Amino acid sequence: MIAPAPQPPFAVPDAVKFAVPLFVLMIVAEMVYVRVAKKGRYQITDSAASLSMGFGNQIVGVLFGAAIQTSAYVWVYEHRLVTLPWTAAVMVACFFGEDLAYYWFHRVAHERRFFWASHVVHHTSQHYNLTTALRQTWTGALGFNYIFWLPLLYLGFPPAMVAMFSGFSLVYQFWIHTELIDRMGPFEWLFNTPSHHRVHHAVNAKYLDANYAGVLIIWDRLFGTFVAEDKKTPPRYGIVSQLGTFNPLRVALHEWAGIVRDVSGAKSLHEVINYMFGPPGWSPDGSRKTSASIKRAWADQQAAAIAGE
Amino acid sequence: MSQADLISTAVSAGFVLVMVGLAALLGFRASARLDQETLARLAAAEGVRLQAGVIDDSGRAALAKLDDGRLLVAKVMADGLSARIVAKEQARLRWGKRKLILTFADLGYPSLNMRLQNPPPWLRELGVKN
Repeated sequence: MIAPAPQPPFAVPDAVKFAVPLFVLMIVAEMVYVRVAKKGRYQITDSAASLSMGFGNQIVGVLFGAAIQTSAYVWVYEHRLVTLPWTAAVMVACFFGEDLAYYWFHRVAHERRFFWASHVVHHTSQHYNLTTALRQTWTGALGFNYIFWLPLLYLGFPPAMVAMFSGFSLVYQFWIHTELIDRMGPFEWLFNTPSHHRVHHAVNAKYLDANYAGVLIIWDRLFGTFVAEDKKTPPRYGIVSQLGTFNPLRVALHEWAGIVRDVSGAKSLHEVINYMFGPPGWSPDGSRKTSASIKRAWADQQAAAIAGE
Repeated sequence: MSQADLISTAVSAGFVLVMVGLAALLGFRASARLDQETLARLAAAEGVRLQAGVIDDSGRAALAKLDDGRLLVAKVMADGLSARIVAKEQARLRWGKRKLILTFADLGYPSLNMRLQNPPPWLRELGVKN
């Protein structure tokens, strides 16, 4: 029989709940600074859309998202390999494990359309400010985003511990959504920073599919997805095909609708699988753009420019 | 939904209103406008050239014919732009009440309603009837 779950030696904090007042204060401060210093960009319609998406994400979470995720966590934990205690060493390991799980979730969320359909929401703003951080998906739980953390539960990390570090990661990632903080010196060697994350939100060919880190940028450096911000290439934000709407429902569901439309018109099982799980932009005849095709075209242009010099 | 959930949801809604109100107060209302130069730039970014373009009376939406036979549609998104290049058959064009209405299959790109004082003749070639 499996051992009972160890109890945490302290009240596990809900980092996101505690951080909300701080989020509000930081957004207010950033707005005022942008107005006074005329640096950075805000636009009321864009911010209203971002905040609406954040609010909707909270409602979906309360209604069923958290329940789905918690049920999955608990079920996997009941079948765990070992029972890990709430010790300092285990918590350090959990921190690294959670951050690694986030990296792979985030990378797959960009590289596979089924997961992109949820995550795309976060990238639909053409602005990059603290309200962009709150532009969150409504379909994360329905899109099985939580599966990337399940191996931690299977290994025996307590669900509350994994949830605690996920909360810390989410809070950490809030402040990096700003154009007001420039490069941060040696801090950038190890940690995700505003500069690294600006690259991640950019649609410039050079920056596509890079910097998936949550807290630690080491995973990108390790797995070859790190790209440094280049002063000569200011980031342009959003998605490759910018949305033509601020309507929260359309923002939340447009890629899912695209998948349904494509799959219903698919001519083979191969097409169905690729429309769902291929890279975003995949098409049977290659007529649509993927990150890879955009980067290839850009690399060809660069090579041609160099050859012409 | 528990009482605590209801309270936190209400507090969040309040925060959203405060922040949107502050953005309004600070005057973050910049809006872009479309012109022929912008249309040409959007086309050039895709490696094609404009044959003809029409911008609606408000300067917020545009339709252009490209030299490869496709259409470029563009609209103002607050202080940014959103453009699509589509094959003719991927867009439905019709006249409403003094408006040209362009409809697309993409849920993320709602219909464009373009008010045009002087619709150019080339719209007829696209099958749009006055």
